[in-house]
Amino acid sequence: MPNLQSPNWPLLIELYFFLVGLAGGAFMAAGVADIFGGTKDRVVTKVGSYLALLAMLPGPLFLIIDLGMPSRFLHMLMVAKPDTTIGLSAITIGPFHIKPYSPMNLGAWALLGFGVCALVVVLTLYLEDSRRARNLGPLRGAFGAIGILLAFFVAGYPGQLLAATARPFWMNARPLGALFIAIGAATGLAAIALVLSLRGAEASGSLAKVRRAYTVALAIQGLVLIAVFMAVARGGPAWSVAQGGLLTSGSYSLAFWGGAVVIGLLAPLALEMRDGFFQGYRRGPGMVVLASVLILIGGFLTKYLMFAVGQA
Amino acid sequence: MARTLAMFTDTSVCIGCRACEVACKQWNQLEAEEPVWTGSYQSQVHFTDKTWRHVKFIEKKDDKNEPKWLLMSDVCKHCNDAGCLEACPTGAIYRTPFGTVDINQDICNGCRYCVSACPFGVVSFNHGTGRVNKCTFCVDRTSQEMQPACVKTCPTQSIQFGFRDELAKKARKRLADLHAQGVKEASLYGEDTNGPLGGLNAFFLLLDKPEVHGLPPEPRLPQKPIWKDAGLSAGTAILAGVGAIVAFRERGGGGGGEQ
Repeated sequence: MPNLQSPNWPLLIELYFFLVGLAGGAFMAAGVADIFGGTKDRVVTKVGSYLALLAMLPGPLFLIIDLGMPSRFLHMLMVAKPDTTIGLSAITIGPFHIKPYSPMNLGAWALLGFGVCALVVVLTLYLEDSRRARNLGPLRGAFGAIGILLAFFVAGYPGQLLAATARPFWMNARPLGALFIAIGAATGLAAIALVLSLRGAEASGSLAKVRRAYTVALAIQGLVLIAVFMAVARGGPAWSVAQGGLLTSGSYSLAFWGGAVVIGLLAPLALEMRDGFFQGYRRGPGMVVLASVLILIGGFLTKYLMFAVGQA
Repeated sequence: MARTLAMFTDTSVCIGCRACEVACKQWNQLEAEEPVWTGSYQSQVHFTDKTWRHVKFIEKKDDKNEPKWLLMSDVCKHCNDAGCLEACPTGAIYRTPFGTVDINQDICNGCRYCVSACPFGVVSFNHGTGRVNKCTFCVDRTSQEMQPACVKTCPTQSIQFGFRDELAKKARKRLADLHAQGVKEASLYGEDTNGPLGGLNAFFLLLDKPEVHGLPPEPRLPQKPIWKDAGLSAGTAILAGVGAIVAFRERGGGGGGEQ
């Protein structure tokens, strides 16, 4: 293996990846419930939007703390005099720069846009609920629609960012962005289900819809996880492929098979299937709390392991 | 754009004196570091934020089981397709008019993404300044028409500097001479602009396979497949979105939740 250097990103960054994915998933669910759901599903829109805003808010702070020069955080988006030779297809408009081949730069822009959309959507809900304004639906619809696109972007870009490096494992794990989107959707929906069931929602109705949606997302998460390993196994060079062994049979294998696969993926899938994914759910909030907590743990662990193995 | 500048390191005449390491540290005012035991005479395992020129001492057994030395003074490759430059979210890393890659210390905010994107592990994070740094090809010397410090000091002309086209010609001639003398194992690394990363602006003449020197045989630009990855991501997003839409749709929806 050539001598490579690690960025040594701390756990804080991984925590951000998890939270921003959850925020993206929750926002997506909120938007879908708003547009496609019934009047009863407004609770999903509310819980999802608030969760999205709350989960994304600490993100920028985590990222800024981790910088070598935190005071220069704005340089992610703008500098006083941008150079013109800063990369493939780079665009500079005044002091701003957009670098299509730098997921971190695009991610910073998307995070800004997503934050604005989440804030506007939450504000419309708040104003309507406190009866200070009426029928802000169209405004919410507009920001919600753009926000959903950005939600998927912020959920997925950390994975793409890792895949676009020269680090072992990451460099071959090309579907990492896809995996992070699936995990974001599953954890975002699970977080909504958790809040709904803790607030004593009925087993049928909106909660059942959220459960159906997270079960689908969880199944996608499993399939994409397989795709990640297929991509790593097919890729080269050998030292990068071998790094994947840390997960399947090396020092991370217990956390991977036991935590990410069995506890965090297969167990909640089995719980949901047994409880009647196809027929209509029988059990109430207690089981949903268990399943959604497992999904959240599994999503965090899976992302953590993908994050750690590339820096090991 | 001015003519591309390049550096040619001919490892076949390197004597491992490490004068280049010292000259680099002196000119660029890089602190001394505690040597690390690497199992050989090498002073550091690899590049650090204070070691921009790094002489590798590689011990190998030859065909007759006799020990032989492979000496190589390593440096930033100033790739034509540079992973660090593409990765940099701030635009601190830029292409100079001489075709080399430099880091604007007034812009870098220390996110360390470039560190992970260099296929050669060159870019290093300095905890003191909170920024990343690497070899600049002594831009403050070359802009005054002086040679980089390491080149100037190299006593065997193992390190040479000049316009890329001329230097590449020189390198190819040296390779042909060595092949004619029976040194069949000699090869050029990074000289070909049609090769990996669009060619390296610091290229090498090696006496063994690149991997023996700790160099990747086929370095790749990490960002190249990014749009393919994005396709996979978009597909997954659509799947997850459709799953949610089907679940939330008021009528039909596979039985629905309210029966």
